[in-house]
Amino acid sequence: MPSSRREFFSRLTDGLHGAALAALAAPAVTFGNGGGSPVFDLKPKAPHFPGKAKAVIHLFMNGGPSQVDLFDPKPTLNRLAGTAPSRELSFAISNGKEAGTIMPSPYTFKKHGKSGIELSSALPHLAECVDDIAVIRSMYGEHANHEPALFLMHSGRTIASRPSIGSWVTYGLGSENQNLPAYVVLDDPKGLPINGISNWQSAWLPPIYQGTRFRTEGAPVLNLQPRAEIPTPLVEAERNLISKLDAAHRGSRPYQPELDARISSYELAARMQMAASDALDLNQESEATREAYGLNDEATRSYGKRCLMARRLVERGVRFVQLYIESQIFDSHGDLKNSLDYACGKTDKPIAALLKDLKQRGLLDSTLVMYGGEFGRLPMSQGPVKSAGRDHGPNGFSIWMAGGGVKGGTVYGATDDLGFKAVENTVSVHDFHATMLHLLGMNHRDLALERHGLKERLTDQFPARVVKEILV
Amino acid sequence: MIVAAVVLIALLPAADVEFDAGTKAIFAAKCAGCHGKAGGLDLSSAAALLKGGASGPAIVPGFAAKSLLIDKIVTGQMPPGKMPKLKDAEIDQVRAWINQQKAMPVVEVAQVREQDARAVIQARCVMCHGGLRKEGGLDLRTVASRLKGGKSGPALVPGKPEESLMYKRIANGTMPPDAMAKELAVELPTEAETEKIKAWIAAGAPEPQAVAVASDAKVAPDAAKFWSLIPPQRGKVPANGEKNPVDAFVVAKLQEKGLKLAPEADKLSLMRRVYLDLTGLPPTKADITAYMNDKAPGAYERLVDKLLASPHYGERWGQHWLDLAGYADSEGFGQDDGVRPFAWRYRDYVIRALNADKPYSEFLTEQIAGDELSNDWRSAKTASQQMVDRLAATGFLRTVPDPTNSNERGLLAERMNVVADEVEVLASSVMGMTVGCARCHNHKYDPIPQRDYYRLSSILQAAYDPYEWRSPNKREQALGLEAEWKKYQEHNAPLEAEAKAVKAEIEKLLEPVRKETGKKDREILRENAELREQIEPLQKKQQEIRRKMLPPPHVRILADNEEPSQHYLLRRGDPVGFGDPVDAGVLTVFEQVPGLAKYEAKAPYAGTSGRRLGLAKWLTQPNHPLTARVAVNQMWMRHFGRGIVPSVANFGRTGVAPSNQPLLDWLAVEFVESGWKMKAMHKLMVTSKAYRQTSKVDESVLKADPENALVSRMPMRRMDADTLFDSLASAAGYLDATAFGKPADVTVTADKEVIVKPGPKGYRRNIYVLHRRQTPVSLMDSFDQPPMTPNCTERRQSNVATQALHMMNGSITWDLAQYMAGRVIDESEGDRAKVVENVYLRAYARYPKPEEVKLGVAAIADFRKGWPVKLEDTNTAAPRAATAEWMAVANYCHAILNSAEFSFID
Repeated sequence: MPSSRREFFSRLTDGLHGAALAALAAPAVTFGNGGGSPVFDLKPKAPHFPGKAKAVIHLFMNGGPSQVDLFDPKPTLNRLAGTAPSRELSFAISNGKEAGTIMPSPYTFKKHGKSGIELSSALPHLAECVDDIAVIRSMYGEHANHEPALFLMHSGRTIASRPSIGSWVTYGLGSENQNLPAYVVLDDPKGLPINGISNWQSAWLPPIYQGTRFRTEGAPVLNLQPRAEIPTPLVEAERNLISKLDAAHRGSRPYQPELDARISSYELAARMQMAASDALDLNQESEATREAYGLNDEATRSYGKRCLMARRLVERGVRFVQLYIESQIFDSHGDLKNSLDYACGKTDKPIAALLKDLKQRGLLDSTLVMYGGEFGRLPMSQGPVKSAGRDHGPNGFSIWMAGGGVKGGTVYGATDDLGFKAVENTVSVHDFHATMLHLLGMNHRDLALERHGLKERLTDQFPARVVKEILV
Repeated sequence: MIVAAVVLIALLPAADVEFDAGTKAIFAAKCAGCHGKAGGLDLSSAAALLKGGASGPAIVPGFAAKSLLIDKIVTGQMPPGKMPKLKDAEIDQVRAWINQQKAMPVVEVAQVREQDARAVIQARCVMCHGGLRKEGGLDLRTVASRLKGGKSGPALVPGKPEESLMYKRIANGTMPPDAMAKELAVELPTEAETEKIKAWIAAGAPEPQAVAVASDAKVAPDAAKFWSLIPPQRGKVPANGEKNPVDAFVVAKLQEKGLKLAPEADKLSLMRRVYLDLTGLPPTKADITAYMNDKAPGAYERLVDKLLASPHYGERWGQHWLDLAGYADSEGFGQDDGVRPFAWRYRDYVIRALNADKPYSEFLTEQIAGDELSNDWRSAKTASQQMVDRLAATGFLRTVPDPTNSNERGLLAERMNVVADEVEVLASSVMGMTVGCARCHNHKYDPIPQRDYYRLSSILQAAYDPYEWRSPNKREQALGLEAEWKKYQEHNAPLEAEAKAVKAEIEKLLEPVRKETGKKDREILRENAELREQIEPLQKKQQEIRRKMLPPPHVRILADNEEPSQHYLLRRGDPVGFGDPVDAGVLTVFEQVPGLAKYEAKAPYAGTSGRRLGLAKWLTQPNHPLTARVAVNQMWMRHFGRGIVPSVANFGRTGVAPSNQPLLDWLAVEFVESGWKMKAMHKLMVTSKAYRQTSKVDESVLKADPENALVSRMPMRRMDADTLFDSLASAAGYLDATAFGKPADVTVTADKEVIVKPGPKGYRRNIYVLHRRQTPVSLMDSFDQPPMTPNCTERRQSNVATQALHMMNGSITWDLAQYMAGRVIDESEGDRAKVVENVYLRAYARYPKPEEVKLGVAAIADFRKGWPVKLEDTNTAAPRAATAEWMAVANYCHAILNSAEFSFID
């Protein structure tokens, strides 16, 4: 049973404290019907209605994966290969001088699985999982630049300074594990994505909802381990002294809940040291698992490790895990095939392994996996013919979702014949966010925070529709 | 005479399309109450839906997803408030009906006025053909200048669009030119926009109509009869024997609940409280001794006077103001999160103004319109500190994140966001109003029609003209103190010489090839690998030299465009959803406030509009209902932990009513009548008995006053991030008290922790540390130092594990613990009991009790035992025993700095 497995781990790491917390789930965070003042903590909260997904793994594909080369076959590109683009299309390129001609995909598309979803030959491993994923081919964004597009995807607006999706989710649902952060970010050791730490900021939500970076190498959390220069027994002795001082301080100041909260925070810090190290210890995994995730291969090791860590974290009740990959790996402005081969070569195998592993452990039903970048790419070439790539295309692109109540083997929406613009059953980023919240049992209109007289939401004041067509 | 032209693009009576029964029933049940035949928007027939209301047509036939009606319903905006919402099935029904209406004739009755065409011209053309630039000699802003045209002849032939260049070139796609549009961040006109220009020309190119006067029925006649909009009156001070009026009002309120003030806090707790509150720094041992020895009456009042006169007062309260302003040292965008050089001049202005006890009215005026007070700065290059300060003060409305230095991020929508953020800063910090709602629609609770939002926004848009935009790096004035120019020249002169020499070297290599081939440099370098290898290192050297150069002294300013564009109500906040033109002004509800002078914009000198100066004058009227109340309430919140109006940025109908309005109003009047002097208000508040109460609380008081709304005690508080950092450095004796100027740098460790770089004298106060939006100092970030998005009217106080991790395991506290240990050992001459006492004085500002001395001495002895083993493998010149003692005391200090008593204030 998936829930019991997750529960097993959270009991294991929480002890009685955690089990008691799980049993005493707090009422839902909702302001849709004039609810009271919000509670800011990480205790588990009831959703607005029963949701299939309990946790989210967000595989963010920095740079903007090319839909027409991966998920959205466009035979018309072959037919029109080498012809000049329309004015609308050529204006879409950032530097007009680089505008080339209509460019077909260097990959071939084939039907896979029972569902017969067409995928490109760049994704051979994902092809084995198509019956578990729902591809949305009609996404559209609002901006052709990385920064605003990333902000939009992460926070619902193209501007900096709004809470990220993970912050909203943990604000709404809390966490099932009180020894680990509720919202974990696994970024690439090679560098932060565009917008840096703003991608997982809590902005005007309290900082407890901010994403905590777990690093793949070394200590996973900043200052998690005691200072090496202090002898270990002395670290313990310091802790004991602090406990004594705090107990006396607390004793002479009754009815100050802040002091209790502070004492708990020091205790949690000590527990986290153990729990985080354990959660990220991949040596506990079998050789077969390590092999499946690509840990034995240089190309896939780094991303494979993060995928495996993600599974170990959601297994322990972490609510939201976000994975990043080398700063802009899917930003294929030049040398399209090499660029995509490199990006997919690093990610395809580990992602497929993650899906299979979650499924085999019975965790996929309760874990929502989301794959996608900040936009797609243009159907025409950019730059000199020999090394042509594609420029950013926010008007139509593909993402996929799996698990957690998503109907596998589904394709939804369509772009035009060139793959330039979403035209059929279009899905905005707000729709995407509303769908994610829905799968977690939350109504995007009700998950709100009162601020400066406004009910702030992830979907802001924008119209947003749950894409019911891809739900189980 | 102004002629109004009415052009009918298409006028067809909508074929009488019927609602289906379900849709009709839904409208009747859920909508008709407000949207009947009488209201602005009428939902009784298909034709009426198409006609729509103030926000435009309610439906787009055949496209439910694009219809405003559906939008309003699914976002929960309609039906409003607690009225019954539509069920999902009902929404689907309405959607289906709209989607079926593909064949419905589109009816558009449009009055094409000059201002409608101008809106398009402003959005798409004036970046090149406006006041700042006149490409091809063409200025498209007025009818006359369009008729005059440019080098290619007149742009406009009234009545003949096909002969008018301004229409022809847009219609045939040559204007705006792609490359130019991209460089200046202009989007192409849509078909509908192009049609508007055509229609206006076809109608004979009428002159603009007068802008409608603001007064209309949108604000209810009794809208200003709300407590916060009625000017405060100085009420009678309750006669209950309390000397300080603050206490008289507080006690009166407490008595209503059968409560009384709590006893006074003990002398040293109070001393620590008032030090941290007024200066943000703990008292030193010498301060404590002096105060303990001052046994004469009035010792506390003398202490307060001393603290208010301290230069550290301005640093502490300056930070509060910088929170309100949303101050940061970087633009907030891009991988490099570009630093704003000289942003700190504004920070310094604030600190100096507060230390000088500049009246709040003057403080506000300089910040809103310092540039309009005088035009002397326009011709100066070298300036006095006063002139620099008055101009730097306008940095108040230059704080918000601004991406528009990049042309790719400079589109109209982003410029509008910058303006909107500044409006938000102004409204939330100074006016206590939530105006942001009205950017997209009339405010649902407060009397703020959408039009009024754009009136307010227009005040700033004379400077932040979204149509003729200046990016942040174009809003700088080359101005500095003589010493700064001297330093700049002295620093850069040798570097410039060096750069010149390198350039000559490059020229020597390139010139002969240029002559020989006649090719351009870039081409030469691409083709000639050998030459490239020689030149590239030289170019790198050039760059390095340039990096070492100082930027010329300048001031970041806000100043008007000479001829600001016309502004419009923007439907639903859409940057090109042009509604009616609006004039600059304040919220019209204030016209109902008796005795309040009207807002008036009068240019103080040529080249500026006077709109902001008008705003400052309007805000600082003695009887303004909000300005003084909001200011004293902010001060009260900082002193007492909770505002008299707890929603400090919202004095509107959705805010929280004042817990003690007579007190708030008395303070507000007192503030104005005593010359808007902030220090006097501080003194009044912190010398009250209410402030001097203990923070200890018992169950009965807690029950009677759970949120401390009645001030039945002082709240116990965790230090905010700034106080914590400054106190850590101060306790360790590692505080560099240097004030003003360039901020201390931060650095990112291999672990990606952001830490502060100490200087040779130690850490500077947090207010003098570089505040870069994307690299906040990790320790400060975990202690709720706010991300400025755009500002922070009230700090949050969390208690989370990451704080404990930073404090226990981070390098900053451990390093400081070692400094502190060194200091106390020196002060204590080897006596551990004295060490403990000195640690208590530094960290807790009190003397230890005997059992605490005992505990401390034992702990140090215990720590001492753990070190020799470790020290075996350290290579230290100092005698091992002394080092071990030092480290043991460091452990002790480290534990003390990590204890609750250090970071909490009684």
